[in-house]
Amino acid sequence: MGYSWNWGVFLQPSATGDDTYLGWMFYGFKMTIGLSLSAWLMALFLGSIIGVLRTVPNKVLSGLAMAYVELFRNIPLLVQLFLWYFVLPELLPASLGNAYKQSNPVVQQFLAAMICLGLFTSARVAEQVRSGISSLPPGQKNASLAIGFTLAQTYRYVMLPMAFRLVVPPLTSEFLNIFKNSAVCSTIGLLELAAEGRQLVDYTAQPYESFIAVTLAYLLINVVVMFSMRWLEAHVRVPGYIGGK
Amino acid sequence: MIAINKVSKHYGAFQVLTDCTTHVNKGEVVVVCGPSGSGKSTLIKCVNGLEPFQSGEITVNGVSVGDPKTDLPKLRSHVGMVFQNFELFPHMSIVENLTVAQIKVLGRDKPEADEKGIQLLDRVGLKVQALKYPGQLSGGQQQRVAIARALAMDPICMLFDEPTSALDPEMINEVLDVMTELAQEGMTMMCVTHEMGFAKRVASRVVFMDHGHIVEDDLKDAFFANPRSERAQQFLAKILHH
Repeated sequence: MGYSWNWGVFLQPSATGDDTYLGWMFYGFKMTIGLSLSAWLMALFLGSIIGVLRTVPNKVLSGLAMAYVELFRNIPLLVQLFLWYFVLPELLPASLGNAYKQSNPVVQQFLAAMICLGLFTSARVAEQVRSGISSLPPGQKNASLAIGFTLAQTYRYVMLPMAFRLVVPPLTSEFLNIFKNSAVCSTIGLLELAAEGRQLVDYTAQPYESFIAVTLAYLLINVVVMFSMRWLEAHVRVPGYIGGK
Repeated sequence: MIAINKVSKHYGAFQVLTDCTTHVNKGEVVVVCGPSGSGKSTLIKCVNGLEPFQSGEITVNGVSVGDPKTDLPKLRSHVGMVFQNFELFPHMSIVENLTVAQIKVLGRDKPEADEKGIQLLDRVGLKVQALKYPGQLSGGQQQRVAIARALAMDPICMLFDEPTSALDPEMINEVLDVMTELAQEGMTMMCVTHEMGFAKRVASRVVFMDHGHIVEDDLKDAFFANPRSERAQQFLAKILHH
């Protein structure tokens, strides 16, 4: 096979002349991180609320929360992305839809991608949070109510602090997933890490170097996430409790 | 202090409590006993509204528990409750377990709550454990902390739901001692327990339940000397052998 390796390709000026190919990769790297982190914050926030609602005694609220979860986790991510990016702007009121379509294309892509990833992942986070809450001993809720806490205070001070500790490992998986799922957003033209990798193939004809670099970049992100979450898990560990010191 | 009047409760078709009527006067210790599944725990959980009931009325200090307009958190904040499985909050240190509700529910400031907490821990003999976590204490110690946690709220009465049933035999007495002391100081108490020795020592009255009915409600001496119902006689015969 006559492939000629050329790692120097990253330092060559890019086809558009304003950057190196390494610069392109770095742009995609930043985009992946920015997109995934903002979507993760959204997923964590919404997912926690929905997860809590799934466990409240009020049947209407828990029913709505269940419908939310089933909606967002049962439609393929790619389909959801196309819905947000291509279909939704057409369904908005004309003035709002037009304003959206006339905005900076990168902003359009980023917004659609963030909302899509955020909502998709929030349904999964909600399920983790719910399972954490339901795995607490039922007496905890009674004890907390018995001492005079309201239901909201019971969640805030007693149930959620333990439930979140219990679900740090599955949440870590979701956090890792969101970075990997963000690659899907290259399909709407968002220049994140995977898209930059493909772009490099087109411009430099060095596919191996490009995708090895992309792979290493994803790996780097996820190793950092994994160690941070592991640190968090150890940091919040409850002494004397299962898995505690 | 606690008045239970014709309380009935069912889960679907299953009747858990039928027309239960009894009361606990101020300063009284009422022991509720009976075989498993007789509805003792359900009844005591109805007293502070942890279990809803379909008919009848319960009042605590004149406030109706079943009334939808009642501020249940407020009512519960001055009715102490101790559970079979201790139910300390595992992510908080022992002293935090005693102060969190004082601060968040009663609005006390932290130094005041801490002082009260430490003083109560000292009282149950666990001051040195203040900075440990529940998982690092034995069952008996955890239950004593749970009693102190309830006392930190300055309760007007205390409910005990089988406080020694989950304990190793050698830890039962350290918990009963704390409860006995509390009774002797005049605390109003309703205790679901099988500890007949404790009942003989401190109870004012004994309530015997079977199949959701209150079968006997007698002064302690009358109950132990001469139980009227056959069911209570059988129960005592079995339990007092030991």
